[in-house]
Amino acid sequence: MDLRRYTEPFFENLIKVCGYSSGFVVLLIVIFLFREGISFFNFSPVEKGYSLWVHSNNPVKKLEPAQIKDIFDQKITNWKSIGGKDEPIHLLSFDELSQAYSPTQLGPKFEHLPRCLDSFMDSLPGTIGFFPEAQTVGQLKTAREVEVDKIALSKFLTDTEWFPTSRPAARMGVMPLLLGTMLVSFFAILFALPLGLAASIYLAEIADERVRKILKPIIELLAGIPSVVYGFFGLVVIVPFVQDAFNLPVGETALSGSIVLAIMALPTIITVSEDALRTTPRSMKEASLALGASQWQTIRKVIVPYAASGITAAAILGIGRAIGETMAALMVTGNSAIMPHSLLQPVRTIPATIAAELGEAPYDGLHFKALFALGCVLFFITLIINLLVERVSAKR
Amino acid sequence: MSNKIETIDAHLYYGDFHALKGITLGIKENAVTALIGPSGCGKTSYLRLFNRMNDLIPYTQISGQVLLDGQNIYQIKPAEIDSLRRNVGMVFQNPNPFPKSIFENVAYGLRVNGIKDKSLIEAQVEKTLQQAALWDEVKDKLNQSAFELSGGQQQRLCIARALAIEPTILLMDEPASALDPISTGKIEDLIFELKNQFTIVIVTHNMQQAGRVSDYTGFFYLGQLIEYGKTRKIFTNPTKQETENYITGRFG
Repeated sequence: MDLRRYTEPFFENLIKVCGYSSGFVVLLIVIFLFREGISFFNFSPVEKGYSLWVHSNNPVKKLEPAQIKDIFDQKITNWKSIGGKDEPIHLLSFDELSQAYSPTQLGPKFEHLPRCLDSFMDSLPGTIGFFPEAQTVGQLKTAREVEVDKIALSKFLTDTEWFPTSRPAARMGVMPLLLGTMLVSFFAILFALPLGLAASIYLAEIADERVRKILKPIIELLAGIPSVVYGFFGLVVIVPFVQDAFNLPVGETALSGSIVLAIMALPTIITVSEDALRTTPRSMKEASLALGASQWQTIRKVIVPYAASGITAAAILGIGRAIGETMAALMVTGNSAIMPHSLLQPVRTIPATIAAELGEAPYDGLHFKALFALGCVLFFITLIINLLVERVSAKR
Repeated sequence: MSNKIETIDAHLYYGDFHALKGITLGIKENAVTALIGPSGCGKTSYLRLFNRMNDLIPYTQISGQVLLDGQNIYQIKPAEIDSLRRNVGMVFQNPNPFPKSIFENVAYGLRVNGIKDKSLIEAQVEKTLQQAALWDEVKDKLNQSAFELSGGQQQRLCIARALAIEPTILLMDEPASALDPISTGKIEDLIFELKNQFTIVIVTHNMQQAGRVSDYTGFFYLGQLIEYGKTRKIFTNPTKQETENYITGRFG
């Protein structure tokens, strides 16, 4: 019997299923990421179960997370500056309340806390307090809950502060992380691309067969080293070097991160662009040489242009590696989520933030969702880079 | 007519393989010389001696003399190889334009040889494209990619590219083997036109082509030059039995 009549359609269908399912998995990941990320914007930045209370006569009805943080950091000290009456802001803490009122007045289980809060507010109308909802809800007369704005997308993207665990209200601005990622990746690719291109040209066109046979596997081996090892190398070698060279208080800087990521991106860039360079037909090289061009002219004017799209692909893969790299970036960039001003200052990248904070963020909480929203931002960055490069290489 | 190129007992080895076994031959100036023979007979290797293209292949060894205008081109300084190649244009088996515009393909040889004068380059590009009988077809699309041309047009572009730097010798390695009969006819007409100004050496598999375009023919077999002479003589009255067998299609 002719088995092939059955086996061939079977394998055809099997391959089809593999193709569809891998596409489906990618789609599923994106959908999942965005579902989690978008739900971030439905959360209040105030910790669950807590509320902010002010005097009911206070004209301030709504506060932004940034304003709350400034109030509690005592950067804003008068209600006037946020649209209220000219009245100094008094921060009421639980300690102060328990000193002002005796334990019997408060009650053994703080069941009289609402009454105490009311009377405190009466005596000092500029008060703002941060208390658990469970003990206060529905029983307050003088005090009124302040509404807190949710973190809007525009705020999330433009806010320059990242304090995800600050109380009473978290501040979540992607800007410092985004700029940190961009800075580190940009300089990483700035270091890696010329070096990688030079190395690939050497390997593909200049090195003789013996050297190539030794060098190529070594470079390919570099691609297989786990990123944590690169991070370790960076920590032991690059970080002290940067610290000494620029006489810095700490060596964990954006520059160290760029150097380590550049080293990590090199093998990808070298192998991909070398393969592209080697696809140049021999006859095309010979045609150039036969016209009296030198080897260098041939490389520059014929071989590199011929391999341009492959070299671009190598660059994207390198950028992708640098932007998405987590472990090494976490280990050598110093992890301070502040707006970067120079290369010689600690920064924090988006992937490093996700990795460092996911473990301590309560499941399904605001912070947790914020990290997914960060993931979405990362997704868009890589998407934009890919689309850009696609357009650039299509123009050729 | 004098000999433009002369080889005296030229041997070529690729590693252990003895590709050319002592070729002694003179190639006449301003004439078309065809090199014929079965695949692997050494005719292309012989052609590539004249612009030192074999140097690019690792483990190549060459002995004997290759004289161009009386000078042994294997005794020149490495720096002079580029100027040798400027003097010896080459057209390859498959059309191999550069990934550039039509204009830049022709201008390439001028640019790499240090010519920067824009009007000079433009004039030379037009002149050589006309020489290669391509000008009328491409004059309106000089800035388009050379890859958009047909195979036959690409090959004529490659010829124009080789002519642009005004060599005195033109080497053609089976220039029409990848082309259709009409394009082949155009290339052959072109060779006929060009032989007044250039010394042309053409390697071909195509007997009729050799008979049509060449003045002299050399028959190669297993790395040896079996017979050389006027094309009419080789095709009508060969001296050697092998030549006759090959030409009449009994083997090859």
